[in-house]
Amino acid sequence: MAEINKDRPVKISVQNLTKRFGDLLVLDNMTFDIHENEFVCVVGPTGCGKTTFLNCLTRIYHPTEGDLLIDGTPADPAKHNISFVFQEPSALPWLTVEENIAYGLKIKKLPKDQIEQRVNQILDLMGLQTFRKSYPGELSVSAEQRIIIGRSFAMQPDLLLMDEPYGQMDVKVRFYLEDEVIRLWKELGSTIIFIIHNIEEAVYLAERIIILSNKPANIKEELIIDLPRPRNIADPKFIEYRNYITDKIKWW
Amino acid sequence: MDVQKKKTSLQLILWWSLPVLAVGLVIVAWVLFSANNPRLMPGPMAVIQRLIKVFEKPIAKTSLFGHAWASLKRVLTALLLAWTIGIALGILIGWNRACKAILGSIFELIRPIPPIAWIPIVIMWFGIGEFPKVLIVFIGTFVPLVINTAAGISMVDKINVDVGKMFGGNNWQILRSIVIPTALPSIFAGIRTSVSSGWTTVLAAEMIAAQKGLGALVTRGWQGSDMALVLVAVITIAIIGSLLAIFLSVLEKVVCPWKSN
Repeated sequence: MAEINKDRPVKISVQNLTKRFGDLLVLDNMTFDIHENEFVCVVGPTGCGKTTFLNCLTRIYHPTEGDLLIDGTPADPAKHNISFVFQEPSALPWLTVEENIAYGLKIKKLPKDQIEQRVNQILDLMGLQTFRKSYPGELSVSAEQRIIIGRSFAMQPDLLLMDEPYGQMDVKVRFYLEDEVIRLWKELGSTIIFIIHNIEEAVYLAERIIILSNKPANIKEELIIDLPRPRNIADPKFIEYRNYITDKIKWW
Repeated sequence: MDVQKKKTSLQLILWWSLPVLAVGLVIVAWVLFSANNPRLMPGPMAVIQRLIKVFEKPIAKTSLFGHAWASLKRVLTALLLAWTIGIALGILIGWNRACKAILGSIFELIRPIPPIAWIPIVIMWFGIGEFPKVLIVFIGTFVPLVINTAAGISMVDKINVDVGKMFGGNNWQILRSIVIPTALPSIFAGIRTSVSSGWTTVLAAEMIAAQKGLGALVTRGWQGSDMALVLVAVITIAIIGSLLAIFLSVLEKVVCPWKSN
């Protein structure tokens, strides 16, 4: 299918994922693979079931049918390392920046030296060394969101899910943080599913975009974005992708 | 720029001098009132002389420090017990639905009872020794702690718990690393209330039946129409109370540093 994925093994396999709430069918038989170190954005019309889709992947909801496999075995939060960046600010206010980044690693009981090494790596990559002893409440909202992103990347997760983590920020800050996510993804080789409603940002970020249909959601189309990085939003090819996806998710 | 700077430093001086001014006003009012009503209220000099006399001729063979220590010992023993048991019970009630259903309603019921209302029952059951005094203080300090801790625990933000779950934290890890830190400011509010409540209760208990303690000094002064002695005891109580409040605010800054920042 994808030229860019030819030499990467399948990391995540979603098979016949279906979710019903009583008689209401929300997710309809979705099947797709995500390759190791792939950056996938999921777009779709408002209310199409993006959040339900995400909640099935994080195991907050159990699918009615079908399953999510990580490295060939059914996803299990106790066994696999699934990390999630919430839409709302979720840095723990009583922990300093470095303690927030180390939080998940401590829960997983990693050796102390490994925790220290990973925290330092994230602080260096994100330019947060100066603020390592600060509390989230002392920093700006965008800095707090960066802590959360750093915390998720520090886990070196099998799968990193992001649910519009910049929804509440202005455009300039969003693009700045997205550049940061791209840098972390490239450095750390994570596998990312990014749920997003802004099509321009999806084209800016993704290697592949999954376009969902109206409810009940299924995969309408998958699109490889083969633009070089850093991407230019004024590039005619970029605009072509953006317009094409916008047309695809139109429900009117 | 300079004018602005001058204005700010003036405001700062005014801000810091206001508390001193307030205390000064109380002392002035005291001096004026005692000068006009010497029988109702002894003046500052009379109180200082009485203070010296307490040291020269100790009451119940105990110096003022001895009386203060007797009260403090009762309060601290009760507080240590109340903090240990009260915080643990508050966490249990706030975290566990079954415990909340059973114990929560009991605490709601006993919450409005003033601790000194327990004094007659406790004296009837346990006499007038050391244990009943500590027990009365324990009752007075224990209840606000349980209620504040339980309230703090139940106010935990769902998204923070989700963070713990997402990283695969078990119930114990989530309780320890998410729920208890969230509740710490409320627990501290409970600790502050428990300290002031502890002082109130110990004095009430000592005023009824005690040889030693600041409450006993108040009663002795009151019964002997020795108002200067009453004031010596009251001022000592105020000083110890303030020192405890300062200690607690320092402790809170150490335990909850993100709050002070």
